[in-house]
Amino acid sequence: MKHVKKMKWFILSLTLILILSACSSSGGDTESANGGQNGSSDGGIKITLLNSKSEIQPQLEEAAKAFHEANPTISLEIQPVPNGGSPFERASTLYASGNPPTMIMLDTGDVAKFKDRILDLSGEKWNADTVDHALDLTTIDGKNYAFPLAVEGYGFIYNKAVVDKAVGGSFDPSTINTTASLENLFKQIEASGKKALVVSPMDWSLGAHYFSLAYAGQDKDMTKVNAFIDDLRASKVDLASNKVFNGLMDTFDVMTKYNIDQASPLAGTYERGPELLGKGEVGIWFMGNWAWPQISSFDTANKEYGFLPVPISNTAGDYGNQEISSAVSKRIVIDKEKSTSEQQDAAKKFLNWIVYEQQGQDFLVNKANIIPAFKNITLPAADPLGKSIQDYIARGKSEQSMSDLPADHWANVGASMQKYLAKQSDRAALAKEVEQYWTNVKE
Amino acid sequence: MVTDKGVWSRLRLRLLFTGPTLFAFVAVMIVPFLYGIYLTFTNWDGISTTQSLVGFQNYGSVFKDAEFWKSFGLTLKYVLFTVVFINVLAFLLAYLLTKGLKGQSFFRAGFFLPNLLGGIVLGFIWQFIFNNVLVFLGQKMGIGLFSTSWLSDPNRAFWTLVIVAVWQYAGYMMVIYVAGLTGVPGDILEAASIDGANGWLKMTRMTIPLMVPSFIVCIFLSLQRGFMVYDVNLALTKGGPFKSTELVSMHVYQKAFLSRDYGVGQAEALVLFLIVAVITLLQVYFSKKMEVEA
Repeated sequence: MKHVKKMKWFILSLTLILILSACSSSGGDTESANGGQNGSSDGGIKITLLNSKSEIQPQLEEAAKAFHEANPTISLEIQPVPNGGSPFERASTLYASGNPPTMIMLDTGDVAKFKDRILDLSGEKWNADTVDHALDLTTIDGKNYAFPLAVEGYGFIYNKAVVDKAVGGSFDPSTINTTASLENLFKQIEASGKKALVVSPMDWSLGAHYFSLAYAGQDKDMTKVNAFIDDLRASKVDLASNKVFNGLMDTFDVMTKYNIDQASPLAGTYERGPELLGKGEVGIWFMGNWAWPQISSFDTANKEYGFLPVPISNTAGDYGNQEISSAVSKRIVIDKEKSTSEQQDAAKKFLNWIVYEQQGQDFLVNKANIIPAFKNITLPAADPLGKSIQDYIARGKSEQSMSDLPADHWANVGASMQKYLAKQSDRAALAKEVEQYWTNVKE
Repeated sequence: MVTDKGVWSRLRLRLLFTGPTLFAFVAVMIVPFLYGIYLTFTNWDGISTTQSLVGFQNYGSVFKDAEFWKSFGLTLKYVLFTVVFINVLAFLLAYLLTKGLKGQSFFRAGFFLPNLLGGIVLGFIWQFIFNNVLVFLGQKMGIGLFSTSWLSDPNRAFWTLVIVAVWQYAGYMMVIYVAGLTGVPGDILEAASIDGANGWLKMTRMTIPLMVPSFIVCIFLSLQRGFMVYDVNLALTKGGPFKSTELVSMHVYQKAFLSRDYGVGQAEALVLFLIVAVITLLQVYFSKKMEVEA
């Protein structure tokens, strides 16, 4: 009996210790988290940024250091979104755990979902300095909720050394403005002993980038494009007879015909694209300017690369045949739920630092290879792909990318495109699957 | 000792021992489960601060979601093959490694090893093998079967999932079967030998019936893991090519977090939970009846 009693006390105290230590350790956690929120012991303000552009993680960390040196009271920590995770998913998890970062880098289409939890940034000075249409998609009820971080564009990237040799002289990208002229270029490249192009079969590339040209190419006027999307939702569109869709898929058929991976079109990986293009084994790759760091590590063309538009007809003057698709793709939002007003101010300061301080601009353009979405930043793009896109934008030859498609669009339409690429379905089936997707989509 | 005390003090003693565990169980299992059930009746998208009750609408969507049932069907096929192959292979391995083979402990450890790798790492390793190593060998040696990546063909990609699962779990189940085999009393088998029973008879009439508890555990584990697999599916095929190998857990996850349809995703998870619970309980119930005493 006495033995049991002793045992009881022992177990009780052990449990107590466990509970206390659990509490104290979580207490420690909240303190450090709160330290971030309320200002840490050295009187500084600690803020965090959830980074969903993993390719610029080291550059952002460097920028955080530079920012801290310029503003010693503020320290900025960059948290990466884990590989393969989506920023929406990570941010919603962090909100669910009650510990959201001060700043979150979101995709354009996600911003609206967070609007109850993030700060209205309409009052910030940089709103007036953005490029045209940069804030359209993040302005809700007249209030802008997000900072436009980067302009990104995509199309056919060409390796100038390869195409120069193929056309026998200096290649002029403006000669490619119809499906036929593109096919002709492919033929010339093949005749010069190289492979014409590589089609990377990732669903995001085929679904979100390639296929969305079929929407954006409908009209120069975005309101008409949006009306087209609304019609798709209401199943009022017959895609199979749509001119732009058919033109785009004609080009895709040509791509399939000259694809280096024709034997096993779905086996390719993203990593294979920059290697083949950079080494000059193929002349052309369908991708965007974010691929520059990878291409440059294989570069054999003396950094001479550029973009070609994706033609959608055989009439050179048609809209889309000379335009490169581009848009503001990443946004930074500021949390208002858990962040203190000091932290919010510090975060705003960081955004202003990027736009208006020489160091911040240098980080954005030269270190991170980002095409800025601000008119006041006059630094030229640091890499050939960024330069090429800037050039198209400057000449008014840019087409708005579809950056607010439903979140699962890329996965579903991408899967349908993969099926088409692997010749497991035909154009009629593809059109039907896409129509089906739009009638079932939520939002 | 305890009985002469009052009800209250008995309860106190019970709470003392089970209390902490009970608290943890309620906090991390029961409460989230109930909250999850609540969420199935809302139209929450995962982040918004407001949500409204929509009744049974989400359950309706589950039954209308053709993709969910397609991936469920695929999962059934996957479970069928993995359960059979894992257990057959595991039992064979266990049988061979209880025969007193030289170095059998070493082999047991070796076969168990794959189970120690995390699913994600394992998926990436096998992805490399199927995408690069086998393709390289296939092309060099002219083996048609391996000359293109298995992961780019829907049917073969499915079999890669099965192969990897068998490779991963056979060693684990083998350990349970080894324990079961060594637990079969030697005197019975010896008596049978004296009576003239051959190896096959001894196996089918004595060893296997006496090992029913091991089979129950192993089949239960492989059933449950087969239904719930996510990590290897994600790392090895990502559900591709064109969503043809998207198993049901992955579909549920995509529904909740990619399509931002948390309510429907949660409802699908619950439906899946119920189906798996029924199947595994039935399995345990019926195989319990086959147990015999030595």
